[in-house]
Amino acid sequence: MTTTRHRKRSRHVALVLAGTATLALAACEDERVDARSFPDLESCIAASKDNSLWFTEQDCRQNFAAAQQEHLETAPRYESKELCEQQHGVGNCGSDPAAQQGGGGFSFMPLLVGYMMGSMLSRGGGIFSQPMVRTADGRFATPKGDQSFATNNGAGKVASSTFNRAPATIGKPPMTAAQVQSRGGFGASATSRNPGRSLGG
Amino acid sequence: MEKRILPERPGWRDEAARLGFSFADMDGQPYWDETSAYCFTLSEIEDRIEAPSTELHQMCRAAAERILGEEQLLRRLHVPAEHWDLLAESWRQGEPELYGRLDLAYDGQGPALLLEYNADTPTALYESASYQWLWFEQQQAAGVLGADCDQFNSIHESLVARWAEICAPGEDVHFAADSSNPEDYATVETLAWAAREAGLGAHFTDLAQIGLTSDGQFADGQSRVIGTLFKLYPWEDMLRDSYAEHLVGSGTRYIEPPWKAVVSNKGLLPVLWQMFPGHPNLLPAFFAEDVEQALTGGQPAAHVAAAFDAARDRLARGHVTKPIYSREGAGVTLHRPGQPPLCHADDSYSHHPMIVQALAPLPDFGGFHPVLGSWIVGQHCCGLGLREDTSPITHNLSRFKPHFIEG
Repeated sequence: MTTTRHRKRSRHVALVLAGTATLALAACEDERVDARSFPDLESCIAASKDNSLWFTEQDCRQNFAAAQQEHLETAPRYESKELCEQQHGVGNCGSDPAAQQGGGGFSFMPLLVGYMMGSMLSRGGGIFSQPMVRTADGRFATPKGDQSFATNNGAGKVASSTFNRAPATIGKPPMTAAQVQSRGGFGASATSRNPGRSLGG
Repeated sequence: MEKRILPERPGWRDEAARLGFSFADMDGQPYWDETSAYCFTLSEIEDRIEAPSTELHQMCRAAAERILGEEQLLRRLHVPAEHWDLLAESWRQGEPELYGRLDLAYDGQGPALLLEYNADTPTALYESASYQWLWFEQQQAAGVLGADCDQFNSIHESLVARWAEICAPGEDVHFAADSSNPEDYATVETLAWAAREAGLGAHFTDLAQIGLTSDGQFADGQSRVIGTLFKLYPWEDMLRDSYAEHLVGSGTRYIEPPWKAVVSNKGLLPVLWQMFPGHPNLLPAFFAEDVEQALTGGQPAAHVAAAFDAARDRLARGHVTKPIYSREGAGVTLHRPGQPPLCHADDSYSHHPMIVQALAPLPDFGGFHPVLGSWIVGQHCCGLGLREDTSPITHNLSRFKPHFIEG
């Protein structure tokens, strides 16, 4: 009964099992990752011919498709073209292809003007992408708007930003150094004792 | 459902090693096996596996509510009485679940049948969510699989979305596992990458290194206070450890939440059968002590007499006894008419109460018996991982098999 096939698999996954040390360390650094942005698929493919880079033509295709989809799903919607252009600059908006025909409402969105790929060790390896749209001051941003860049065709290091908010607990906030009086009170139990066996299943 | 012989990717073992998938072979036997793969149609995936799995999870939630409200059931599930409040309170508060794996018997013909629910500490997550995905993408790029093929596997994306849903932005989550076990560690690492992608802080701590602070909070191996704890360690053990008395006072948020203790327990299965008798995706199941005598010609306990009579023929065609706590086939015994009982060699759980479940014979594909693991993230089924074994009892040396969707 489906008219268009709905994709049943992830667009990307975390592939690398880094091991305990790396996972522990990576958490403590504000990591910066290699990133490249391209105005379109063709310029990415052209750049991928240089084999010293961290991405292949296949990565370009996969990530461009993912960025297009993400743009459709996450780009901000506006009630009118004027409102959209206030946010993204004149000539940088179009109608929402996903909007209902003639339904009115929020049916204008910034145009996709490129995409950025990042080589993400902090996410278990693999390549991640974000679509890019224009900002009112002539820069390029991801749809979330929390990162903006001067160009949609460049290379550099980008921060994988993290926000730290401590959930309330009864004593000290999480991650505070504390006085430990004992260790090893978990793990000894005995619904089964079979050394070396997985604790999961 | 078909099994297809396929060419292996050249050099996949080297790539597995490079990615840190160190247990692709275990004990000299292949664990990841891509010499063949299972193939399903889209409607088979959506109608026979995905929708029933999502429904089964909802039924398990209903069973959790019932069990947590009935002391008699909590007793039968061997939940220590001093922790009933912790479990019930976590349910009352609506503490959200993260993930689980339903193990299903499915032969491509009849309905998928629930064997058990690994609702607390399921492993094989990396193989299902990541390595299987890579296999698919590479085989499709190589032309081994058609351009219109797909895979039922949005596990990673579903995990990222679920983490973002159930945690505050930037929340620090500790991941505790036995770091000496690569399978367990791979599972928490897979979850931790997804948590990072959702904007959370992910910190590993070895389970045995968790400490208690002078304020009664838990701390990690580096003496940092734990606020939110994902533990790849079963609730039935947590509740019996020496730190169990500090579970509430520590103020820690646990993932999976404590109420999962009653659905990751095989005592769930007779409760489900009692609540949803005759459901097409359930096998008849009873607490062993209620029907032990009836199975050998005696009388069942009065309160299950009618249900037992209705299931008598099915049980006579074959049934399985399982301890309420067990992992990876341990303690499972198969009873088939005219054959001696077949036991799993590992009986380290067999001192626990048992349940009886009608036998769902696994299909035979070239001498191998596949079991489907359907992954639940949040409250929806989002992926599939298959394991197959030459023995009719799937255990921890069975092989992981990739799958794809065609047509």
